Amino acid sequence: MGVNEVENTIYIRMRHRLQVRPHDSIKLQDVAQLIAEDSLLEKVKNSIVYKVSEKDQNIIILDVMKVIPILTNGVGQINIEIIGPTQTIIEVVYKKIGVSIPLFILIWLLLFFGAALAIMNFHEDVSMQAVHQRIFKIITGKQSVKPLILQIPYSLGLGLGMILFFNHVFKKRLNEEPSPLEVEMFNYQQDLDRYVIINENEESMKRLHDH
Amino acid sequence: MIINIVFTIFIGLAGGIAVGSGFVAFLTVLGIIPRLTQLTKTMKMIHWYEWSVVFGAVAGTIASLRDPILYLPSLLLIPLGLAAGVFVGLLAAALTEVLNVFPILAKRVRIEDKIMILMMAFVFGKIFGSLFHWMYFVNE
Repeated sequence: MGVNEVENTIYIRMRHRLQVRPHDSIKLQDVAQLIAEDSLLEKVKNSIVYKVSEKDQNIIILDVMKVIPILTNGVGQINIEIIGPTQTIIEVVYKKIGVSIPLFILIWLLLFFGAALAIMNFHEDVSMQAVHQRIFKIITGKQSVKPLILQIPYSLGLGLGMILFFNHVFKKRLNEEPSPLEVEMFNYQQDLDRYVIINENEESMKRLHDH
Repeated sequence: MIINIVFTIFIGLAGGIAVGSGFVAFLTVLGIIPRLTQLTKTMKMIHWYEWSVVFGAVAGTIASLRDPILYLPSLLLIPLGLAAGVFVGLLAAALTEVLNVFPILAKRVRIEDKIMILMMAFVFGKIFGSLFHWMYFVNE
């Protein structure tokens, strides 16, 4: 009996995210990592767990609870061990929509002038001009209305500081760690994923009394 | 008379403590110092960075409350301006990051891979705005 149990065990780890095209049939081995005895693995790994159809929107949550019946229907009584996440986020990728260049340029210019205006408002708000005049006076002892020798390096340093913080000079990284921006993008994606896992999965919530 | 002096000293100290702790809290929220130690891999020196901020704040206080004049060559202003600029740049970058502007923007316009180019718009915008402000906008 002990030997039988080991032979009939399948370990399943659902993948976190899967990208498919519309009308694809999703096989078990696409949606999960599997470990099992070879003959068992051959039998189950190509079984279809989901068919993407017209009525699906671009995100489908496939819960492991939907996968288990398909497995047991195929091969009968087996011992299933689930490891890791209990659902996969299936992303249906429709025709790749390219980024429109005019829109991109528009956003670029929007950010450019927005950033320029914001820094000018900041300088006025904190009386940066007066502070710079004062620093000029302290260091050199002379009076200057426009201490550009201080202000031009300041302006270039401003850009340098931002690049330093984000750890990127265009595509080139300054060191191998992820930048705060990449971490922030990751966190945002994780939040979105957690939201869809709960809200797009009709089995995750149940009302006993429908009021 | 004595009580007046003691009370004034007390008020000054209280105001200083409030502003100083507020300043540190502001720096902590933005996480500039951890970011710099992470970039340069100098986590062990973090206490020295703390003292650098403290001495910097005290030096700034003396410079703004008293009227020291040092009579130094004006070329010294170039590294000083650069350092001040880098610091404000770090502040500005930390603020945009805290506000989570970029991840949402990139998601909305579907340009996750071009986000660095968008960020460069921000950086160049800051440099341009700053130069424009100093060289043209202010004219007294």
